[in-house]
Amino acid sequence: MHVGGEVDVRSAYCAASVASLTNIMTPTLFAGTAEWIARCQNWEGGIGGVPGMEAHGGYTFCGVAALVILKQEHLLNLRSLLRWVTGRQMRFEGGFQGRCNKLVDGCYSFWQAGLLPLLHRALHARGDPALSMAHWMFDQLALQEYILLCCQCPAGGLLDKPGKSRDFYHTCYCLSGLAIAQHFGSGDLHNEVVLGIPENCLQATHPVYNIAPEKVARAVMHFLQYPVPSLDPA
Amino acid sequence: DEIGLIPCPEARYNRSPIVLIENKLGVESWCVKFLLPYVHNKLLLYRQRKQWLNKDELIDITCTLLLLNPDFTTAWNVRKELILSGTLNPLKDLHLGKLALTKFPKSPETWIHRRWVLQQLIQENSLPSLATKGNLGAAPVERIHRLVQEEMNVCSEAAGRYPSNYNAWSHRIWVLQHLAKLTVKVLLDELSSTKYWVSMHVSDHSGFHYRQFLLNSLIHRTVTDNNILVQNQMVNEQNPSLQKEEESAGTEAVCAEEQSVDLPRRLDEEMELCSELIDNYPGHETLWCHSDESLNNSHHSPAISHMAQAMDVDGLNESSSKQGYIQETKRLKRAPVQDSLGPEMEYRFVDKVLSTCRDVDQARFATAYRKWLVTFLGQ
Repeated sequence: MHVGGEVDVRSAYCAASVASLTNIMTPTLFAGTAEWIARCQNWEGGIGGVPGMEAHGGYTFCGVAALVILKQEHLLNLRSLLRWVTGRQMRFEGGFQGRCNKLVDGCYSFWQAGLLPLLHRALHARGDPALSMAHWMFDQLALQEYILLCCQCPAGGLLDKPGKSRDFYHTCYCLSGLAIAQHFGSGDLHNEVVLGIPENCLQATHPVYNIAPEKVARAVMHFLQYPVPSLDPA
Repeated sequence: DEIGLIPCPEARYNRSPIVLIENKLGVESWCVKFLLPYVHNKLLLYRQRKQWLNKDELIDITCTLLLLNPDFTTAWNVRKELILSGTLNPLKDLHLGKLALTKFPKSPETWIHRRWVLQQLIQENSLPSLATKGNLGAAPVERIHRLVQEEMNVCSEAAGRYPSNYNAWSHRIWVLQHLAKLTVKVLLDELSSTKYWVSMHVSDHSGFHYRQFLLNSLIHRTVTDNNILVQNQMVNEQNPSLQKEEESAGTEAVCAEEQSVDLPRRLDEEMELCSELIDNYPGHETLWCHSDESLNNSHHSPAISHMAQAMDVDGLNESSSKQGYIQETKRLKRAPVQDSLGPEMEYRFVDKVLSTCRDVDQARFATAYRKWLVTFLGQ
């Protein structure tokens, strides 16, 4: 993550995210990365921090999103991943847990639910005939209920679960998860599913970068004007 | 051997806030809001080169800081520099970390720093070093073994202090991979020493995941050793005159010893443990997940599914893998016909649970498990 720091799947995502947006991807930069990430997928179907570790929502998102950027999602067992992530939505609460047998947490509204748009896209690219054209493969309304009814702080901001205090991290990821739950697809195939009054509807977020899709487009267009830097001294 | 904060909002008496009883260190909470900014500021001034601190002061200040907030990376990094310059004994940091973990069992920075320290110690160990800082007593192998055991203890304690402690269990796996090199002995020792712990923490998914890791490593180990055995046999057949007798005999001896691991029995024992715990503690999803996976391992010849995955993704040397594949299936086929009994027993177990349980979650897990048995095992 930084010089002398820990090595795990998050840094692969950070690197892929930054490099793809700023047009500095070279063939050597990510040589072997996709294969390494694939090794982080374990018997549970989810992805751990490094190969061998327990599957965990945060790391799984980072791994899958990085692979989407690297166009190597097919290296994963998408079926077991789908089974794992869908099993993480809590039957009673509606929100998501980070790992099996743990408690619900608002931030996983993004890390976990955010996997479904990515999986949808990957399976669609394979020509899967069973994919819905209107909904993600999780209960979008139940997640919105959890976020709106349980995760709001009366003084503003959002949180992990009732009883916890608000913080910027949970505010960010509860809102990101809400956006994911409200918007299916894009362009012609856009379907909004909004719980409560229409004013609850947020702007859509880009499922890979988690910033507004227009911003992604603008960043990419901007940096494409510049050549990919080489490692040779000028 | 333990630290803690004593809730004490006001200093009522004019005395030190430090309390030391039976080797446990307590700090009265009122002093933290004075102490922490003070030491924090001092360290930052040092880092900004505005105020010099000598080595002893640095050691004291960082120690205080880290016991109050072990996720302060800069403080750990200052200690890294001290270790690299030879002024600080790395073992001290292992002890400091252990102490910090008694109060902050998840602290990511503490675990990360710990791995850095251990890496330094391994490197030191592999050098033909002589008297180094007086921490050398026994032979290198013995040293490593003691380090591993200590790490297992630290992980176990931290795991007990916070449910499903991802960082503690991850560290435990790391230690086995990088210090203990995943030998059969250590894998088996860990299986037996964690058996009681997981029985006492039936919802701790990380604990059960650790057992899956141990079993998977054992499976992988057996397959690899069989490959070596078969490769040696192939080499010997082709070139009898080139037989390196010592080498092949040694490897075969090792393989023979390790083949006595009796994988099918281990997996059966794991299934038994699961069934027992499921019966005694209804409604824990972790146990059912673990059961799923253990059955998956023992029914589908583990070597085959594992090697197949490896071949697809890693593009391994196919000929030797296939040889290992054949060897492993032959070996498993010679074993008593466990495979066909396994699933049958599982059906009986699940049906029994479904008919006798009164817990709603237990019934749901059992039903899902039964569906899974039908789909995945195709029986």
